[in-house]
Amino acid sequence: MVKINFIEADGSETELDVQDGWSLMQAAVSNGVEGIEAECGGSCCCATCHCYVDEAYLDKLEAANDKELGMLEETVAERKDNSRLACQVKVTPEMDGMTVHLPEVQS
Amino acid sequence: MVRFNLYSAEFDANPFDVYKELRDNHPCFWSEDAQKWVLTRHEDVLNALNDWETYSSAKGNLVDEFPGRAGNTLGTMDPPRHDEVRSIVQSVFMKRNLNHLIEPIQQIAKGAIDNCIGDRKVFDFAEDFAGEVTYKVLVALLGLPETDDPTEVKKNALLMVQTDPKTREKGPEHLKAFEWMKDFAAEVIELRAKHPGDDLVSQLITAELDGRKLDLIQVQMTVTTLVMAGIESLAGMLKVFGYNMAVFPEQRQKLLDDMSLLPDAIEESMRFNTSAQRFRRCLTKDVTLHGQTMKKGDFVILAYGAANRDERKYPNPDVYDITRNSKGHVGMGGGTHTCLGNSIARLAMKTAMEVFLTEIPSFSLAEPEDRLEWVASSNFRSPVKLLLVRD
Repeated sequence: MVKINFIEADGSETELDVQDGWSLMQAAVSNGVEGIEAECGGSCCCATCHCYVDEAYLDKLEAANDKELGMLEETVAERKDNSRLACQVKVTPEMDGMTVHLPEVQS
Repeated sequence: MVRFNLYSAEFDANPFDVYKELRDNHPCFWSEDAQKWVLTRHEDVLNALNDWETYSSAKGNLVDEFPGRAGNTLGTMDPPRHDEVRSIVQSVFMKRNLNHLIEPIQQIAKGAIDNCIGDRKVFDFAEDFAGEVTYKVLVALLGLPETDDPTEVKKNALLMVQTDPKTREKGPEHLKAFEWMKDFAAEVIELRAKHPGDDLVSQLITAELDGRKLDLIQVQMTVTTLVMAGIESLAGMLKVFGYNMAVFPEQRQKLLDDMSLLPDAIEESMRFNTSAQRFRRCLTKDVTLHGQTMKKGDFVILAYGAANRDERKYPNPDVYDITRNSKGHVGMGGGTHTCLGNSIARLAMKTAMEVFLTEIPSFSLAEPEDRLEWVASSNFRSPVKLLLVRD
């Protein structure tokens, strides 16, 4: 299990023990974290699981592929350097302790 | 010995005792009746939904599948093909692209209210409201031809989700309904090819992916499924929500006192009385779970309706409580095959029920609960008729 801390736009925090190999989106959605919508269920085609990952961990994440980069153009909230789609970030043990901030709006 | 006989007409009247027995004592259960494995715990169902590589949809997702359907609809494709096709259709179904439907849905719901009021105190929520709203929303969303009498479409959609309780297969009447719906889909496609609009079918016809259009059979099967699933699942969700509102008046009052709770009440309804009760996967490798080994090629039923009542996930799961956080339920499936229509379904329910509860805030069942007849379907659970009496 990998500890991930989700912080919503209103400051509320949810710390989750996430199964290795799950995506950040799967973990958030199945535990009722409000700030992730994930309308497409993880097929990388809706940009409603937008999140900002802890910059200190950026180099521990697999880089975004072209499809994700394309969808990141579609986010409603501001896209930043640490923007990712939570459905495309698979959790690995190196991410233990990572914080993920969620934007105010997804759609 | 516990039985999981989803082909018995009475099973869906109250499947919850059986579900509890399965969750507690047979969490990985081989059903002789269904000739399939059954998973009922929330954690197991969710794990399966999140692991499409092991729990494949490519051999069909309906508990009893139609010939020639698997592989030609979104719900029966695995990634990467699934994701490619979903990219084409997703945008039409996204919340941000649905706002133009709010006003039409309000008008549709107001029109349907006329069926429910008047001199008679008793009305059939299923037919007069849920069915009426659902069909008209689909007309607007999909670009179905406008008709004054959608009886045939509704009748065939209903037949499609049913299974012969004796043979435990789709019978001649169900296959005929499937053929009817395919022909209907072909007509809609032809209509929209000639007169394109901003509807989904028009987009499906013209959509291209890497310079390639969807095969005609895929467009046809997809439209066939959208009409069937649209009618049966949206109407089903509306029906069970109406049912919950009728049998839990204190929860309805809580909602009437604060209508901002409506989205939560809808989520809780999907959890508590899930209309999409059971879907199917096929194993691509042997899996050992709770001491049982399921073999590659075996079919597995994911019992969403049971997972949503799992006390390991939800405290007091058999209580309908609109103030609980019921997020994380699998009433819309989950993982890569999460219901394509999840946003339109939520929007349509919220918009239509806002109108309904404003116009008809107080009502109850017009006949005893044990007389309710439930749709005989191995996938969906909703009452056939829902006679309500206005107070």
